[in-house]
Amino acid sequence: MPAKKKSVKRTNASAMGKKGAARKRAAPKASLANALAEAAWADADKALAEALIELDEFENARNEKAREAALTLLAQALAQTARKRGLTRIGMLGAQEAFDPQRHEPPPRAKSAKSVRIAARGVARGAEVLARARTEAPRRRSPR
Amino acid sequence: MSAWTLCIDFGTAFSKAAAAPSDLRFDPANVRPLQLNPQPSGNPFLLDSAVFVDDARILFGRSALDRASSMAGRKRVALQSFKTLLSAADLERALDIKAPLSIDPHRAFCMRDLIVLYLAYLLAAIERARAADACIPARINLRYAAPAWQGGDSDALHAVVAGLFGEAEALRMRLGDALLADEGIDLALAATALPRAADEARPRAMGLIHEAAAAAAYTSIGLDESGSHLIVVDMGAGTTDMAVLMRADHQMHELADARVTFNQAGDFLDRLIADRALKSASWAKSTAQKTALWGDLMRAMPDLKAAMFAEGRASRRYERRLINVSLRDIERDQDFKAFLKELQAAYAHCVAVARGDALLRENASIEAVAVGGGAGAPFIQELISGATKRGPRVTPRPATPGWAHSEVFGGNLAPVFPQLAIAIGGALAPDNMLAAGGAA
Ligand SMILES: Nc1ncnc2c1ncn2[C@@H]1O[C@H](COP(=O)(O)OP(=O)(O)O)[C@@H](O)[C@H]1O
Ligand SMILES: [Mg+2]
Repeated sequence: MPAKKKSVKRTNASAMGKKGAARKRAAPKASLANALAEAAWADADKALAEALIELDEFENARNEKAREAALTLLAQALAQTARKRGLTRIGMLGAQEAFDPQRHEPPPRAKSAKSVRIAARGVARGAEVLARARTEAPRRRSPR
Repeated sequence: MSAWTLCIDFGTAFSKAAAAPSDLRFDPANVRPLQLNPQPSGNPFLLDSAVFVDDARILFGRSALDRASSMAGRKRVALQSFKTLLSAADLERALDIKAPLSIDPHRAFCMRDLIVLYLAYLLAAIERARAADACIPARINLRYAAPAWQGGDSDALHAVVAGLFGEAEALRMRLGDALLADEGIDLALAATALPRAADEARPRAMGLIHEAAAAAAYTSIGLDESGSHLIVVDMGAGTTDMAVLMRADHQMHELADARVTFNQAGDFLDRLIADRALKSASWAKSTAQKTALWGDLMRAMPDLKAAMFAEGRASRRYERRLINVSLRDIERDQDFKAFLKELQAAYAHCVAVARGDALLRENASIEAVAVGGGAGAPFIQELISGATKRGPRVTPRPATPGWAHSEVFGGNLAPVFPQLAIAIGGALAPDNMLAAGGAA
């Protein structure tokens, strides 16, 4: 990391001479974004590593209890990874919502859907939808 | 080049700083949190507020905490949470008190010395971070954020703090970048430099902004309309503070009789969670086992707490065993219940004060926001979004504003925003929101 910082500095110093102001400012702006990303990724990487290890624990579990423990920790580590990257989930599991093609995948085998049930939550970062929620056709009777 | 403002948030656990131009139209790209912590471990924007007096050296920040934990067996501790000293009734006297033996076995330093040393380190870290960011000019208006202490006199507090920063600046000039070395600085060198720096020092020209006002500044920035009243709940590591602000004629005023500070916050929750986990681990019988488990839990605590707040439960693998703690367990704890009850009562009082004042004004509307590392705690969010019975409603505002998700931050400012909120808001606030001092 220190090496990277130095090189950023050098670029700025050389840009100070005559290059346009826009160019001069581009580097440090990117560097703040990079630093933020590096920090978030470093934490996220640790959580992801944890998740991978728990996946092994899950696959090699000798009994139901060990399997459940590994799954709990795997889920926790994955959720932690997502949080560190600023990801949020879309909708509530099992909730019935008005169909919104921006946020919901259309339910399978449904020709047109007005209302859907969240089968697996989607993922967003800020306003950007990274993966839409998977949906099912709503249940006939009252849900749950 | 436009004038820039830099605000220091000298927290009980972490120091933070952010800079922003004072006279340009708001643009998220110009909000510059400073990378105070160059160490690969830990968040780059958070500098541990800690000083450790070793046998022959003085260490700061993370190095101070690491060294202290390696010497825990010798009953030596790092000085932390020294910010709370600023709330002392007679501050000058409190600063002259010698540091306790567990902190300074040499009996060489008083509290003032250690605070000045830490502030010199903080100023050096700020200067390094500022110089690395070509957006931020060298000449910059300086501010610091502090809570408005109950019955406190802002001008008197400010005179003392500006004096401390002045000495710290003189010390930084003497000691230079040596302050930033991982191995800290030579103890004898520090002891001789301190009185000289005190002689040379001039009070630092800087502004004081109340933490709640800084929160209000970031909450309303970039919005065309914002409430006339804002309730701020700030849960950090050492304290939870509540305040009510009222906006009139483009100025913020605090409604002082609503203000309250609790000595329970993040650190208190850490202990509750670890305690609960320890109780559930019935196999840990010996003191050695318990101590080892406690240490492990405390090291994992930031992650455990984040999981607990987000999912309502947290688990930890320890020597092939699984330890589970749920938020429900914590909520059943007597100490927690007592704390929550006081918190609710204080918040209800804040709402009543805000309502009382709102009734006197036209077009009043009340908003509430949570800031600090604990902002995401479910019981804090419930508090500020709780249904209210009568009168104008209280609208909760998000701990992380929409613009923190701006592309310029690549989605990575949002997760740390609540902790940086005071520094960022303090840098964005107009001069008329200062409680004391002013631009240099
Ligand atoms: N995502 C999170 N979830 C829960 N607690 C957190 C989170 N991030 C930080 N904290 C807690 O917030 C506290 C630090 O908050 P901060 O506002 O920086 O405190 P201070 O201003 O007192 O230094 C610590 O107790 C830390 O564990
Ligand atoms: Mg704070």
